[in-house]
Amino acid sequence: MTEIAFQPIGRRIAVQPGTTLLEAAQDAGVALSAVCGGAGVCGDCRVRVLQGRVSRLNDVERDHLTEAEQASGLRLACQTIVEAADTVVVDVPRESLSASQRSQVEGEELPLPVDPPIAVYDLAVTPPSVDDLRGDWERVRGIDPAQWQPSALVLADLPTIARAHGWRARMIAHGRHIAAFLPPDAEPLGFAVDVGTTGLAAYLVSLKSGDTLGIAGATNPQIAYGEDVMARLTFAARDRHGAQRLQTAIVDGLNDLLHEVCRQGGVPPSRVVEAVAVGNTAMHHLLLGLPTEQLGTAPYVPAVCAAMLTPARDLGLRLAPGALLYLPPNVAGFVGADHVAMLLATETAEQPGITLALDIGTNTEISINAHGQLWSCSTASGPAFEGAHIRDGMRAADGAIERVIWQDGALHWLTINHAPPVGLCGSGILDAVAMLRAGGVISEMGAMTRDHPAVQGENHNLWYEIVPARRTGHGRAVGLSRADINEVQLAKAAIRAGIKLLTERAGLSESEIDRVIVSGAFGNYIDLENAIAIGMFPALPLERFRQVGNAAGIGAKRLLVNAGERERAAALVARLRYIELTNHPDFTDRFSQAVKLTPDPWD
Amino acid sequence: MSLIEEIRQTVIDGQAKLVVPKVEQALAEGIAPETILHDGLISAMQEVGRLFEEGEYFVPEMLIAARAMKAALAILQPLLVDQGVEPLGRVVIGTVKGDLHDIGKSLVAMMLEGAGFQVVDLGVDVAPERFVEELQRGADIVAMSALLTTTMPNMRTTIEAIEAAGLRNQAVILVGGAPVTPAYATEIGADGYAPDASSAVRVARQLTGK
Repeated sequence: MTEIAFQPIGRRIAVQPGTTLLEAAQDAGVALSAVCGGAGVCGDCRVRVLQGRVSRLNDVERDHLTEAEQASGLRLACQTIVEAADTVVVDVPRESLSASQRSQVEGEELPLPVDPPIAVYDLAVTPPSVDDLRGDWERVRGIDPAQWQPSALVLADLPTIARAHGWRARMIAHGRHIAAFLPPDAEPLGFAVDVGTTGLAAYLVSLKSGDTLGIAGATNPQIAYGEDVMARLTFAARDRHGAQRLQTAIVDGLNDLLHEVCRQGGVPPSRVVEAVAVGNTAMHHLLLGLPTEQLGTAPYVPAVCAAMLTPARDLGLRLAPGALLYLPPNVAGFVGADHVAMLLATETAEQPGITLALDIGTNTEISINAHGQLWSCSTASGPAFEGAHIRDGMRAADGAIERVIWQDGALHWLTINHAPPVGLCGSGILDAVAMLRAGGVISEMGAMTRDHPAVQGENHNLWYEIVPARRTGHGRAVGLSRADINEVQLAKAAIRAGIKLLTERAGLSESEIDRVIVSGAFGNYIDLENAIAIGMFPALPLERFRQVGNAAGIGAKRLLVNAGERERAAALVARLRYIELTNHPDFTDRFSQAVKLTPDPWD
Repeated sequence: MSLIEEIRQTVIDGQAKLVVPKVEQALAEGIAPETILHDGLISAMQEVGRLFEEGEYFVPEMLIAARAMKAALAILQPLLVDQGVEPLGRVVIGTVKGDLHDIGKSLVAMMLEGAGFQVVDLGVDVAPERFVEELQRGADIVAMSALLTTTMPNMRTTIEAIEAAGLRNQAVILVGGAPVTPAYATEIGADGYAPDASSAVRVARQLTGK
């Protein structure tokens, strides 16, 4: 075995010679960025080997690293193989780590009565005596024990609780399934979680009052195995224990969040008697341990679309011993339960007139409700707005430029928490493109002029210097390149083409849309005027737009607090008609028009 | 600027709306459809390809120009067929089975069309049998795209199906897509590899000697 020490994080792990540094980092819990999942394509997992014997630089690395970078000792962790040695010391530069995301958990909530799927039974237990030697369970009053079948795991709590609380206890049941025995008067709690590809958002909710008692967000730990859905599905398919490692990673992440929200609420996790998780179809399958091969290849069918109700303990979630985990139905391979939760939370299906609802992410899900008829689609908008494939892109974290304005002939900026700038997050990237267009630095096609003092670069590798090196947090200039603008054009074109085809399918024009609901982490922070200016959204009056935050997470909470919402979810999915865009005859044409940086790209 | 030059420039600038009346005007003035095709459209797309390879144009400009070219070609096509103008060659193109990525493949199809090839676009998620079936109708080039590491092996499967049908020597096979490398192309027995739509045209011309 060879010991690998990751610096400056200070994590150590022993691995077999022949292991790559990326695999070692993943096993050690070092969140090295690896967008491609270790295929040698993205070139993100850059590290320096400070000490120890590893494989020599290979052709893949020479392709990704400039000579200067090679000379500075940079390597790609996915290509660097550990050889027999006592210790290998690896330096992980900050920019190679998946930045911890600013937690995106808040969202707009509509009123909803509390009517949880669980029932509370207050029990008394007759104390034992020489005349009554029956078991504790058999001496229970308040229910007829003969009618119930508690599992050993659940029943185990009853004797202790009854004896500690004057022979009283509380039984929590979901239908005929006993979730837990709690101390008398203990408030039953629920755990709702939005499992995003990038971020997790968790809520602790009282199932009595409906109040939220704790909120926490975290980065999805699966990110160490690939940043997007496809990279994770590839990892699950290629690595022998891939699917299992991904499941372990997400379950560990959820248990950490559970611990955190319970700490905030001052309650033990054993009080949590029901849980709801929403996520895209891939996150759904990886959490449940369902096979994913068929999700990674066309026609991308899920193993199951129907809602799932499964014992949380079976997955390793440390809730009350008999707590059930509910996952709402999936619509299709790329439109998952998270979109259903979002539609529920925003009451999109109940709106009069014409409502468009979008959840912007690496895949953007779009639904339209046209006078009660519902259509949905998914469009591959890519990770540009999450900062990937962008020269100085980063996630929303301290030092990320989140706002950009054009003033006196140049760009001016604002960073998250006013930290010295180190990059641009999604909203900043979108602003920068819109402002450079407004300032005439880039054309409708995205081409950059050389005639501005801030435009740098040779030949055609032009970039606009937003912050000079002397003013940044890391001593390198922060800017936006022509190639970055290209990425934004392709991302927003996918979204706009989706909107266009969906409205056309409903027999409408974009101008007829009465309201647009924009949800998701990025969607909550974007400047709508700029989104319209670059043609990402149709040019509708601003008052028709509503930015609702993490509607998927709020939907998960509703599914926890009100059992009727689960019936609504099933009814909603039955009504939604899914449109596959990739083989749509007009998609390429619409997409080709929508790349233009103008509010109305249509001929 | 002559009308043909105007058509050429309108395509390079990607103005689909403007190119159509100009082509109609050229035809009304008695300019041969073949001349409009060669000196207007093909020449324009060559310039677009050059600008892309130089780094001046990016994918958006190429998409917009290709769209304008297609609008013009739609008018010329029936006339060219009537006059028996032969295309440079026949290309069967598609994204391989299991893969629904469309844009890259469509861009290659449009650039090949813009170079004077006749293109049969089978779309996405194309089974090996569909490639074979279309190849049986006659083709000079089979072009395959895959954007996923999970679907890349279906390029090999398709080549094997073409071999099994005894059609391997009939057409040259061209592959591309983000995860595909020249080494992989050689390994699976393809004749050519192109990293982008512009070089796809160059490789297609080289391989067919056109």
